[in-house]
Amino acid sequence: MSPTTLDSILQGRRSQPQQLVEVLQDVQESFGYVPEDAMRTVSKDLGVPLMEVYRVANFYKAFSLKPRGKHVITICTGTACHVRGAHQLLDQVHGQLGIQPGATTEDGFFTVERVNCLGACALGPVVVHNGNYHHHKTPNKLRKLIDSVRSTSKEEGQL
Amino acid sequence: MKQYVTLTIDGAQVRAAKGASVLDAAIEYGICIPHLCHVPNLSDIGACRICIVEQISNGRSKVTTSCTLNVQEGMAIISNSEKIKKLRRNIAELLVAQAPNSKAIQDVAVRCGVKEVRYPFRNSDCVLCGRCVRVCTEMWKARAIGFVGRGKDRHVDFPLGKREDFCKHCGSCTMLCPMTITPCKGPMRPGEEYLCGKCEAQLMITENRPDSCVWCELGKGFQCARYSQ
Amino acid sequence: MTKLNTANDLEALRKQIQAQRQSIRTTLTLCGGTGCQASQCSDVIAAVKDALIKNGLEKSVTVRASGCHGFCEQGPLMVIEPGNVFYCHIKPEDAQDIVSKTVMSGVVIERLLYVDPVSGKTIQTEADIPFYQAQDRQLLSQNRLVDPCSIEDYLSVGGYAALAKTLFQMTSGRVIDEIKTSGLRGRGGGGFPTGRKWADCMEAPGDEKYVICNADEGDPGAYMDRSVLEGNPHLVLEGMMIGAFAIGAAQGYIYVRKEYPLAVEHAKIAVQQAREYGLLGENILGSQFSFDVEIARGGGAFVCGESTALMASLEGKVGEPRPKDVHTVEEGLWYKPTTLNNVETWANVPFIIKNGAAWFAAKGTKNSKGTKILALTGRIKNTGLVEVAMGTSLRTIVYGIGGGATNGKAIKAVQTGGPSGGCLPVSKFDLPVDFDALYDAGSMVGSGGMVVMDESTCMVDVAKYFLQFLQDESCGKCVPCRLGVDRMLELITGITDGRGKPEHIGLLQELADTVRETSLCGLGKTAPNPVLSTLRYFPEEYAAHINQKRCPAGVCKPLITYAIDAEKCKGCGLCLSACPLGAIKGEKKQAHVIDPQLCSKCGICADECKTQAVTVN
Repeated sequence: MSPTTLDSILQGRRSQPQQLVEVLQDVQESFGYVPEDAMRTVSKDLGVPLMEVYRVANFYKAFSLKPRGKHVITICTGTACHVRGAHQLLDQVHGQLGIQPGATTEDGFFTVERVNCLGACALGPVVVHNGNYHHHKTPNKLRKLIDSVRSTSKEEGQL
Repeated sequence: MKQYVTLTIDGAQVRAAKGASVLDAAIEYGICIPHLCHVPNLSDIGACRICIVEQISNGRSKVTTSCTLNVQEGMAIISNSEKIKKLRRNIAELLVAQAPNSKAIQDVAVRCGVKEVRYPFRNSDCVLCGRCVRVCTEMWKARAIGFVGRGKDRHVDFPLGKREDFCKHCGSCTMLCPMTITPCKGPMRPGEEYLCGKCEAQLMITENRPDSCVWCELGKGFQCARYSQ
Repeated sequence: MTKLNTANDLEALRKQIQAQRQSIRTTLTLCGGTGCQASQCSDVIAAVKDALIKNGLEKSVTVRASGCHGFCEQGPLMVIEPGNVFYCHIKPEDAQDIVSKTVMSGVVIERLLYVDPVSGKTIQTEADIPFYQAQDRQLLSQNRLVDPCSIEDYLSVGGYAALAKTLFQMTSGRVIDEIKTSGLRGRGGGGFPTGRKWADCMEAPGDEKYVICNADEGDPGAYMDRSVLEGNPHLVLEGMMIGAFAIGAAQGYIYVRKEYPLAVEHAKIAVQQAREYGLLGENILGSQFSFDVEIARGGGAFVCGESTALMASLEGKVGEPRPKDVHTVEEGLWYKPTTLNNVETWANVPFIIKNGAAWFAAKGTKNSKGTKILALTGRIKNTGLVEVAMGTSLRTIVYGIGGGATNGKAIKAVQTGGPSGGCLPVSKFDLPVDFDALYDAGSMVGSGGMVVMDESTCMVDVAKYFLQFLQDESCGKCVPCRLGVDRMLELITGITDGRGKPEHIGLLQELADTVRETSLCGLGKTAPNPVLSTLRYFPEEYAAHINQKRCPAGVCKPLITYAIDAEKCKGCGLCLSACPLGAIKGEKKQAHVIDPQLCSKCGICADECKTQAVTVN
């Protein structure tokens, strides 16, 4: 973990406890999760008790205390997507990758997350892969997406 | 100079200092409003919802917790309507179904009139009343423990899951915890799940006078604030 | 860009912009909202711009990436003016045709026209599309006209004129009276009279006051606020400025949920632009009014849509609601007087000030005035954002605008108000969209989400779905919500698993009433609504699950079995390869069989099968 990145995140925000949520958001974005040392540093520099930093990091779904996989697959389970069969996508991903939402595959490659509505309801079921939105996903299309991500990464020597 | 206001609780005229809560005023006057998460000299958060009362204004009634409601001149409070009693009983039923192996929880349930538990018993060792967290945060300012997580995951924990050196091992958290004493007949065994605390003597006394304090043993069980006065 | 120092500067700039635009011959408006982004509209926009450059038209034809039009299923879409030609499902390859045929020669391209699913005919102009015609698009129409990243677009359609009128022709008391008279009620779910909220806040003692825009739209299935904030952030800003002037606040916050990155970005750009033009900051337009706005991101918690939880989150704490024995207009953010309103509520304010309270109150019912944006989704032909006058009936919305059932199944219910609302059966479809009417029927207008359900939806499963959602999102502080919702879910799961007993219905009802009366915050108080409304209107479905161990809609997994009809099965093997658990076995060209021990009843095989050989019992 780079101390300089954390430093730039805290720049201009030191001793401002109300910035805690925004600071942790930036930490999550930069490191992909919220490391323990980061929480200790943030606690010291913002002037927030460590207990509070830990509480906030655990409360909001945006924060992950464990490193996430290289590819984050987020499945929307909002009402409109649910009514269009989003649960089938969960079943598909469970069968294909063997993990439940919130978990990461053992090789650290895929993380599956659930989200309760992204606001693209007319296009459901919606799946987001590393920030890219995919619409009208069926289990078959999702299977193909995951397979193609795997094979592209094999080619690029990431696996 | 302390300022006082007059309000009515269950029809009785009550005089209380400004800034006091309705629960404080009731306890002082010996009106029995059961409570669990309230601890004198610590902040009130209204988490357990046992101390609910009806606030009547403009002909409309609003159900709210008496511990978070500050007294105001002319307020009209009902703490013992059938509606409130039923709601209180249902909440206590939820609590005791969740954590039956505590004398305090069993006592609260009996005081609130729970006769049968209609949910499968679980065996939680924490009801998230927050007494431990508040004493550590407010009285000792140590912040060595706190509530972590959301919803079903909510639990009391150390920062980063490890006891830090700013916990001074003072033991206040354990002293206030309602879960530390098991019911008289011992912990429940699977297959022998029933509601204890049916001490006949206590029920005889408290059921005759449901609304006023009779210094019952049940109150000692859940550390009723009247005992600390 | 010039800093505007007086109201006259503002008007002069506006006239200048409008004059500049007189010479534009053709405008191509493409929707750039999140929904169309998912349909790769950015590629289309780039291709169109390229095609214009290739034909030397980039100076005389304007391409505008506007905010969300609300017709998301038809995206990427485009409207061409003059002519009002409407193209949908556009691919990047179509760009050249559009430029050479329609823009240059006025020829309409048939394959890109919208096909009305009800009549089966193609429709040429946007104005003729039945989906739009049946609506009253006060707010959404502006989305069509402005590029959210261009303050000039907003100025050219009359933006910030209401602010100037407020600052120089009105007092704060007058503004509040106008809002009161208009009858505007909160659009976020509470439906609280906005004028009264502002009046209470203005009268609250204290010099430090705040205004907050709640853009934490957490209701699944609702995206009205997303499209307004993303598509027209200046409209929301202007509303907040007027509100801040009225109550005496100098600082405002827009709290946007993190799951709307485009809305966050556009709001930030709008604030930056407003500051540059002097519309935010000290002595705005030369008046005594100083005001600034900050954008804050949510951390991913539905409960932060509750006002006290949102304020706690802004203070850098966990989003746990606080008791509201003292209202937030007196003790809100940092325990100071705060006015919190929803995005759509703020968006209505500039129109009310500009056109007058009577104009707003002329629409709607006696106690619910104006228009409301609804997110119409589910099992109907036309889904998307719909703006209607309050008082429009559910029937008009579902059939007139929504186009009726899709897939030929019968519509059974409409769920309104998100997880805080309830399900209303077809027999109640004559009810108007009205705060009080829907509340009395056991549901609510809520934020505006409207999900249409048909006979393939199990209403008990719907109640279970919402309870699971609320259990997931509950902060866990108070007993009734944390334990009560959990036990309700336990009871309902028992029912959907076939272990339900008749006495569970009474217990569910009593528990639901307790949770509703005693929870600390709105999340808990409204959590029982899906259960209560389905118990009220669909008792026969509960009875079937309990007494006959049967799920009439064929949804609840423990009560159904999947099997393959040997006579219809061609042995193509599609289901076999699609099954994620390998539960189907069979040789090629021979009837396949599902192993009930392995089958998880996900339904994927039924979707894949081309001969409808998969049966559900």
